[in-house]
Amino acid sequence: MLDLVLTPMALSAREFNAGDTVRVTVSFSYTVGINTTVRLLAGPYYTNIFGKHLVDSCVGRADVSLPAASTPTSQTADIDFTLVPKSLGGVDNGTYGLRVWVEGTNAVAEQDSVIIVFGNAAGGGDVFSSMMPMLMMLMMLGMIMPMTQQMGTGAEEA
Amino acid sequence: MELKTLALDLGSFGVLQERFVLLAPGWYLDPLTGQRIFYDPNTQNFYTLAGGVYIPLGYMNPAPKQVSLGPGEKLKITISYKYSGPAVSGAIEYFSVGVYGTFGFNEQLVGQNTKSLPASTTPLSYTGSYTFTIPTNVGADWNDIYCKIYGGSPSVPQTLFGYENALIIVGKDPAISEFTIVDFAKV
Repeated sequence: MLDLVLTPMALSAREFNAGDTVRVTVSFSYTVGINTTVRLLAGPYYTNIFGKHLVDSCVGRADVSLPAASTPTSQTADIDFTLVPKSLGGVDNGTYGLRVWVEGTNAVAEQDSVIIVFGNAAGGGDVFSSMMPMLMMLMMLGMIMPMTQQMGTGAEEA
Repeated sequence: MELKTLALDLGSFGVLQERFVLLAPGWYLDPLTGQRIFYDPNTQNFYTLAGGVYIPLGYMNPAPKQVSLGPGEKLKITISYKYSGPAVSGAIEYFSVGVYGTFGFNEQLVGQNTKSLPASTTPLSYTGSYTFTIPTNVGADWNDIYCKIYGGSPSVPQTLFGYENALIIVGKDPAISEFTIVDFAKV
């Protein structure tokens, strides 16, 4: 006898422009004793050595009505979210994961490296912000150097 | 709402005759478990110290199936049994949904029918049923049921049967499973 087990296929990576709206379709089973509404959220996340970080400014929400059902019932839902450009506090060019979850429950689904974002302009603002740490260090050095020179002079006099 | 059903077989019994001594109200010791139990002749029930209805060891059984229920839904419990003996009028078929635990059966929903049993020299089959409507304040642990038949004139001996974990109570908070991303695309 041929025994087949069907499992969901992994999502393939797709490219998006910064500013695009992405529609995520999810499916799930549920049981609930009374008619209720749940809130689904979806958004991109990036991963670094400290773990996974959701890009909050891009998270989209959708409310879904669930009629009372005492036996497991299938449901699908769509959630839209916008890939807010970096200049507006959103995503930079790069690769992101996709996470969807249901507020107030432990239902969550996510997959790494499926959203490839490009199209963020390398504007003057970006150059300035990337040079800010270096400028700050130079300014601090400028303040500290005269102080250390003064202390050295004071020590010689004593 | 869909009507869900459970069926229990109470087995066979005869009429309560002179071999059966009517119990006085008071405390008794169950010979099977050693548990102290109180008998109330008005309700013809034994009670534990904690106030639950006492169900002797061996009368509660694992449920052969489970029924999922939510508030507003109806549960129909059907019992079957056999009886032989003199005609009996006013026997009580008793149905209860509740919580079975260390301190007995804590009844949350009860219902009963009155039954007349004709005289018979051979065991005859009978069925009885009761339909409960699950209230909105149903507890997630109201998952046990028991049924019994007792009383009447002449009285039939109390015969019990119950199922543990027969019900799956669905509450007001959604339980979500198999949550997966099907697709995503630009719109």
